[in-house]
Amino acid sequence: MIEETLIRAVCAAFAALGFGAVSNPSRKSLPGIMILAAVGYAVRYVLMQLAGWDIATSTLAAALLMGFGSLWLGSVVHCPMTTLYIPALLPMVPGMYAYKAVFSIILFMQNLGTQAEAFLYLNNFFLNVIITVTVILCMTVGASLPMFILSRRATSLTRYRNRKKDRTDIGA
Amino acid sequence: MNQSLKLKELTAFIADYASVLLGSGVHCTRVVRNSRRICEAYDMEVSMMILASSIILTLVDPQTEEICTEVVPIHQLPVSFELNSELSALSWKVHDRHESVADLRREFKALCDKPRMNSWLVTLLVSVANACFCRLFDGDWKGMLVVFFSTFVGFRLLRWLKKKGVDHFLAVILVSFVSSFLASFMLCFSQVDATIAVATSVLFMIPGVPMITGVIDIIENHILIGFARLMRALLIVLCLAVGLSISMVIFQGSLL
Repeated sequence: MIEETLIRAVCAAFAALGFGAVSNPSRKSLPGIMILAAVGYAVRYVLMQLAGWDIATSTLAAALLMGFGSLWLGSVVHCPMTTLYIPALLPMVPGMYAYKAVFSIILFMQNLGTQAEAFLYLNNFFLNVIITVTVILCMTVGASLPMFILSRRATSLTRYRNRKKDRTDIGA
Repeated sequence: MNQSLKLKELTAFIADYASVLLGSGVHCTRVVRNSRRICEAYDMEVSMMILASSIILTLVDPQTEEICTEVVPIHQLPVSFELNSELSALSWKVHDRHESVADLRREFKALCDKPRMNSWLVTLLVSVANACFCRLFDGDWKGMLVVFFSTFVGFRLLRWLKKKGVDHFLAVILVSFVSSFLASFMLCFSQVDATIAVATSVLFMIPGVPMITGVIDIIENHILIGFARLMRALLIVLCLAVGLSISMVIFQGSLL
């Protein structure tokens, strides 16, 4: 279990790095993206396998953790939260479910003559759509929640200030 | 500088700034917030109306009560997190240091012209990422190898088609077909279950960023653009399935 979790965490980190690379991330944010993806995916996997949570709830918990993590990492590397957590969330995007949902429509159309099979594919379509929509909602809401809770801090992560000077100003 | 000229110059700048940010996949609230921050640095007020393909913005000078309105199209640019980060930092820089609009324009242009990550390096990283994705869906090492190779070829083809100006949806169908065809061809002689590898071979084109940004926009009350982004993402998923189903028809005689 530990070994499998670690393998999946490493795979998630490289998946986030690769899919994030398409979206041109800044070099200083790459380690942060990999850490967030690995931790987030591992947490979701453990919650699903050990605690027996469903995919939506475990995604919400993992995304919440990633949201707070991106807030902290963002203040370290001066990057907006979204540029860290969006690529990190990509390995958790339910692409396979989205693909299966669309594929079910095609199969449904091909099997209109056979009622039993047509209903099976229609059922598969709704099942996959519900999972896709719920997981995407959970991961976005979870990761964005810290942005609403600590909005003042979240909106000034890219601000480079002479902190020493600021403190002197406040003192004065 | 003449106050009226400054207003016009700043309006033109904010129009370009917001258009580039939105085109690069930044969510609406950040665009509005950054634009407002820049305008505050010049003692101006800005109101924006963001639609799926254009922005209408009005700048007001409270001193002279002069108004300047501009409508600017949003061009579909490749998503860039670096640009998102750097342009946000630029808005804070202006806010804290009060640069001239000309200097601001110069810095903006320099950031927009900054070269993106090397194309071959991106291809390699995407291929590794998709192979790892295959492992996350319980694929074996053979499947991962096949996914790596088919993604590599598919991603290069996608880049080439985009360079040639082929429509994005058509390009996705073609690339999805080629990637899944290659994966199916490489796996058709082996005894392993090819379903995971073939399905994963096209997942590098799943539009994860617009899906997440679209939901963020909807949560933050920018419903129109949020739905527009989600619809575009849905169309891309549809194109993926079409391309994949063509190769499945070739290899298996039917979709079953």
